[in-house]
Amino acid sequence: MLEVVQPGLETSIQDYPGRIGFWNQGFPPSGPMDSWSFRLANLLVGNEAGAAGLECQYMGPTLKFRRDGVIAVTGADMQPKLDGQPVPMWESVAVKAGQTLALGPAKLGTRAYIAVAGGIDTPEWLGSRSTFHKAGVGGMEGRAIKVGQVVPVASSGKGRAGRKVKPEARPPFVTDKRWTVEVVPGPNDDWIDKAGHERFLSTDWKLSAKSDRTGFRLDGPQWTFTEKATNKAPEHGSEPSNIIDQGYPLGAINLAGQTPIILVNDGPSMGGFICPYTVPSAAFWKLGQSKPGEVYRFKSISVDEAQELRKRLKSLCTPSSIV
Amino acid sequence: MIYDEPKFLAGGDRYMLIEFGNEMNLELNFMAQGLASAIEQNKTKGVIETAPCFASMLIHYDPDAIAFRDLEKEMSSLIGSLGPSDDIELDSRLFYFPTCYLDPWTKKAVDDYCEKITKKEWDPAFVARLNGLSDVQQFVRVHSGTEYWVASLGFWPGLPFMMALDPRCFLTAPKYNPPRTWTPQGTVGMGGASTAIYPVATPGGYQIFARIPVPIWDTEKRFPEFEASICLFRPGDRVKFVPVTVEEFEAVEAQVKDGSYVFNVVEYQRFSVRNYKKWVQSLDRTQRF
Amino acid sequence: MAERVETMVPGNVWKVLVKPGDKVSAGDVLFILEVMKTEVPHTAGADGTVKAVHISEGQEGVDAGTVAVEIG
Repeated sequence: MLEVVQPGLETSIQDYPGRIGFWNQGFPPSGPMDSWSFRLANLLVGNEAGAAGLECQYMGPTLKFRRDGVIAVTGADMQPKLDGQPVPMWESVAVKAGQTLALGPAKLGTRAYIAVAGGIDTPEWLGSRSTFHKAGVGGMEGRAIKVGQVVPVASSGKGRAGRKVKPEARPPFVTDKRWTVEVVPGPNDDWIDKAGHERFLSTDWKLSAKSDRTGFRLDGPQWTFTEKATNKAPEHGSEPSNIIDQGYPLGAINLAGQTPIILVNDGPSMGGFICPYTVPSAAFWKLGQSKPGEVYRFKSISVDEAQELRKRLKSLCTPSSIV
Repeated sequence: MIYDEPKFLAGGDRYMLIEFGNEMNLELNFMAQGLASAIEQNKTKGVIETAPCFASMLIHYDPDAIAFRDLEKEMSSLIGSLGPSDDIELDSRLFYFPTCYLDPWTKKAVDDYCEKITKKEWDPAFVARLNGLSDVQQFVRVHSGTEYWVASLGFWPGLPFMMALDPRCFLTAPKYNPPRTWTPQGTVGMGGASTAIYPVATPGGYQIFARIPVPIWDTEKRFPEFEASICLFRPGDRVKFVPVTVEEFEAVEAQVKDGSYVFNVVEYQRFSVRNYKKWVQSLDRTQRF
Repeated sequence: MAERVETMVPGNVWKVLVKPGDKVSAGDVLFILEVMKTEVPHTAGADGTVKAVHISEGQEGVDAGTVAVEIG
């Protein structure tokens, strides 16, 4: 139904919550980085919140519709145009066969989401349509969309044009390039000394351009360690941040040597470096919408607080946010 | 050290990491896998999935169904009810893989690294020397002389991390620093105290010395072993590397290509930790092959 | 008729293909950025002469929306 005229920088099919149940075989969940915007896009067009849609990164695609339908664009402002005319974001829009939707470079934010009434209808791989390009599974033939492909959409859509997301239900994008990102200490917070914790929480960490869906690399000062890190059995490894290989929580701030890398949707499921902090699920949308060069200031919260945030976000991603 | 009580660590809002100890010890992995199996049978409410690792286990849970503290209590009580780790029994498949040791393909990857990145001793010679073995032939006998236990899968999808079951075949090796930018598909390598097989060509840091022609990863599911999942292994599987020549390797490779290869897997066995430990006690650990 | 060519994405400057004084035609690639291991070429919108180049090859971490090349 969606003919790819121009693929954009890296546009892929994702669904929510992604590929679940195969962590012990090394499969991360994949899925949308900003699941807040993603779920709202689906709700706008009458889909289940987790239906398969497109995630567009940095520069969006140009798609030609082969059927009439209803779509919605949310997330980063890629200035969507239908046949050259601007269309509103955070709102469902009717499209006719033959019309073309073009998304440009992201002006605010980084990732935009396109939902189509009925949901994208590619084959599921291990229970999910999400693209995991490292392994070549899901999506369009295991990869981001390419010129000339036609993305199938189920015909059973119940979309109506003109539905909008309440302004207070939208994610609050920052405009000053500074993000406050919540983190929960652990699992390996006791490997970092007091000065190290203070330094981490009081630094303006810069998001490196060497960042993508497998990991977000951060530039900043050195970490300092407790005895747990320096006085351990040799099989852990020779660096203070080396540990006997362990499972990595999604969102873990993984300390590879002295380089913190936030493990995100397509990241490794396990490895031999410590994770002193973990970004909770409710803060993932901030990661998904931030650009290299922007600043993260981390705010330490408890597991309970993180779960409260998640509950609140979940209640926003329901039809009650749509008018 | 095996901890008296496992440690329950929070990973954000949806993950729990259970640490059983802080050393490379099969016992710790048996505990992790025993718990994973018990959770599955118990159908513990709120647990979405588990992933055992060497000495720990990661749990992905649903905070709407169970709170962290309640999950901690549930796990504590489940671990308690399992009794001593000696009681653990797990279904365990055994795979035999034709394996070309000291093969030309991994040698080429090492030569490439020496040329482009930094000089190093050929990996099998390096590992033989570090472990006090007489030569690379003895290294092959020792490495291939044991069954390997799949302790966990990860880092790359389908990549198995395995530990030698026969203590007479324990070897260790440091990792590359910096890592290689590529490794041939099917390479067998060692890092620390674990052996791994590379499911596809990826960068890597393990010492490499052998290659298998058999896929452990198949998105096309051309063989029945891949029906359930694209990846061959599950934690708790065992592997035996059977040394073969380059010619034998290439013959099997051709069978894999035309689809006629039949996996050599024994599926009916059950691994008993108690029996395993009794067997280990009976060995003369000073003897190498 | 002046044209200010801005970076469309944040990233590293992989190649700069023009210098002040060069004559360019619409569609000529002026410079290539790299983000998420992908090359993003930036082209001239119209014919003209390059008046200024504000980025250099190898420069890391350039923000999106930076005026990179001015054409007069």
